[in-house]
Amino acid sequence: MTYFFQLVLSGIVVGSIYALSALGFVLIYKSSRVLNIAHGQLIATGAFITYALTVWLGIPIYISFFISLLITFFLTMSVERIFLRRLIGEPIISVIMVTIGLMSILDGLIYLTPFGSENFSFPLFLPKEPISMAGVSMSWTQLVGVIITFALIGAFSWFFKKSTIGISMRAVSDDQLASMSIGISVPRVFGLAWATAGLSAAAAGGIIGNTTGLNFDTLHAFGITVFPVVILGGLDSILGAVVAGIIMGLIQQFAGGYLDGNWGLNGTGVVLPYIILLIILLFKPHGLFGIHEIERV
Amino acid sequence: MSANRWLATGNYFTTYKEEQRIFFTHTDRLLFSFFLVCVFVWPLIFETNNTYMLVVDNILIAMIAVLGLNIVTGFAGLISIGHAAFVGVGAYTVASVSRVMGNDYIFLTHAWPLMILLSGFVGAGFGAMVGLPAFRLKHLYLAIATLSFQMIFQWTINFMEFFNQGQTIFIGRVFWFTGEVGRNEHYMFWYYVILIILVLMGFMVRNLLRTRFGRCLIAVRDNDRAADAMGMHPGLTKVYAFALAGFLAGVAGALHAYLYRGVGVESFTLKASITYLAMAIVGGLGTLNGSFWGPAAIQMLELQVEKIAEHAGDMLPASINLATALRPLAFGLVIVLFLMFEPRGIANWWRIVRSYFKLWPFRY
Repeated sequence: MTYFFQLVLSGIVVGSIYALSALGFVLIYKSSRVLNIAHGQLIATGAFITYALTVWLGIPIYISFFISLLITFFLTMSVERIFLRRLIGEPIISVIMVTIGLMSILDGLIYLTPFGSENFSFPLFLPKEPISMAGVSMSWTQLVGVIITFALIGAFSWFFKKSTIGISMRAVSDDQLASMSIGISVPRVFGLAWATAGLSAAAAGGIIGNTTGLNFDTLHAFGITVFPVVILGGLDSILGAVVAGIIMGLIQQFAGGYLDGNWGLNGTGVVLPYIILLIILLFKPHGLFGIHEIERV
Repeated sequence: MSANRWLATGNYFTTYKEEQRIFFTHTDRLLFSFFLVCVFVWPLIFETNNTYMLVVDNILIAMIAVLGLNIVTGFAGLISIGHAAFVGVGAYTVASVSRVMGNDYIFLTHAWPLMILLSGFVGAGFGAMVGLPAFRLKHLYLAIATLSFQMIFQWTINFMEFFNQGQTIFIGRVFWFTGEVGRNEHYMFWYYVILIILVLMGFMVRNLLRTRFGRCLIAVRDNDRAADAMGMHPGLTKVYAFALAGFLAGVAGALHAYLYRGVGVESFTLKASITYLAMAIVGGLGTLNGSFWGPAAIQMLELQVEKIAEHAGDMLPASINLATALRPLAFGLVIVLFLMFEPRGIANWWRIVRSYFKLWPFRY
């Protein structure tokens, strides 16, 4: 039974990070209907910037984490400005393919740095002994990571529900023409959506880097696992992203804990989200909380 | 007015049937036949070596695969980020026969045309399966479905003992009427096989686009609701498109397996999928001749990038892996730049050049 609770705990830890990564993805989709294929690379970029600031420049991690958030914020904003702004009005399919190109470019840029081939891990800044309770243990880094994740998710929800910019972003996602007519600058909202997505991706990257170490393949895989999460939750629902993130984390941990090693199976935690994705696409394509558009073709 | 069938200066079509012709003038037909003959004859005239032929063979295989990708992404307007997985399905069909029956099994070495066809059909089956969500969904979701198929494929190959966990599975030498195809004539032999299949597939796709189904595809891409109202079935059309793309990819995969005489997972990863997409975009989405320009251009680019990486790699510290970095960088830049500045791809340049020569000495 302890094993079960241990799996639940680590599922929630992993799942909350998925939720945070999926959040940025949903932000972009919600405002501009673009699937950002390069999201994993944004996560990786955020993680590597945090590491470079912390270890190479020696800035304390509390500060460097926020600096990296800021850097990624402006980085993704300029990415939107340079590559995607001029594609407004083009068919969505070519915008999505531009993000595929961006994914490739960012891959190449990361391979140019030492991060592409080597593994790094953050220096410990929290107590090393894990917190143990009734046989279930959790490291301090994980605990702090989960707390930061939920704080950020809360902040983002507040931002969308209450702040003027958030409301204008929701307005744009609902109807671009109408929001233009009441004086919202749609391109600026797109830029902001990308920037906030970059910010949340960097936060996710920093937390993943601290909990599991920095490895480009792992971070990249995180970016692709975002797809099952957002499909399960519904592409345009923030609540869905959070719930589905945690469900996906639990599924992965349970699959890894109970299926692997039995019946000749291995690495099921990696593949199960995608199988679930295909099944959901067939039977409940709008996910748990997605808006049902009557546009089935 | 009956037009001059040798030197047409404009459109004189009086029926739709005339407009659907493959070759508008006799000159076009003649030039194309001459080009085909050249393509078949040049290896006999010029001296070639194996390295060189391998590059050419690779380009031709990529052309077959991109032809399939162009049907699904260019003509049906559905992004497929898992095309390499479909190619891999074809290759692993051959590999699993080799795995079960041994790599010198007679069906594998003697009946290889049947093997290639079989791989095509297996690929088509998987394509249709992945395309199934098309009955309920629009293109965005299908892109994710193809991506997840790519991941499931990679996992299956990497973790299953049957597929040698992604390590190379060998395939024996094939036989021709003259006996076993030996080491020296291997690449030349496959050049002709691939070329013949490519020409057949090219004509097949060209003819397909002239049929009801081809027009259906384009109608569904441009406006699926209007297509629905006109009595077409958009979902079914998309599934067919995926199946067709899967077929071409499967054939390409089987040829890849036979050409390299082995199958390993590293040729069918997500990176390869993006390479195929880059080929289709650079060539020109939704154009037939784009499927031939794209692979040639991208493979040439790849060779140049490798050369540059080799030269520059000596000057840089060892921790920076220039060879792995430059490839995605170049592909990504090519995709983005083409989409931003020339969305119609190289096929558009070809169109401009052609119309220039057609109208010469007049400007328009």
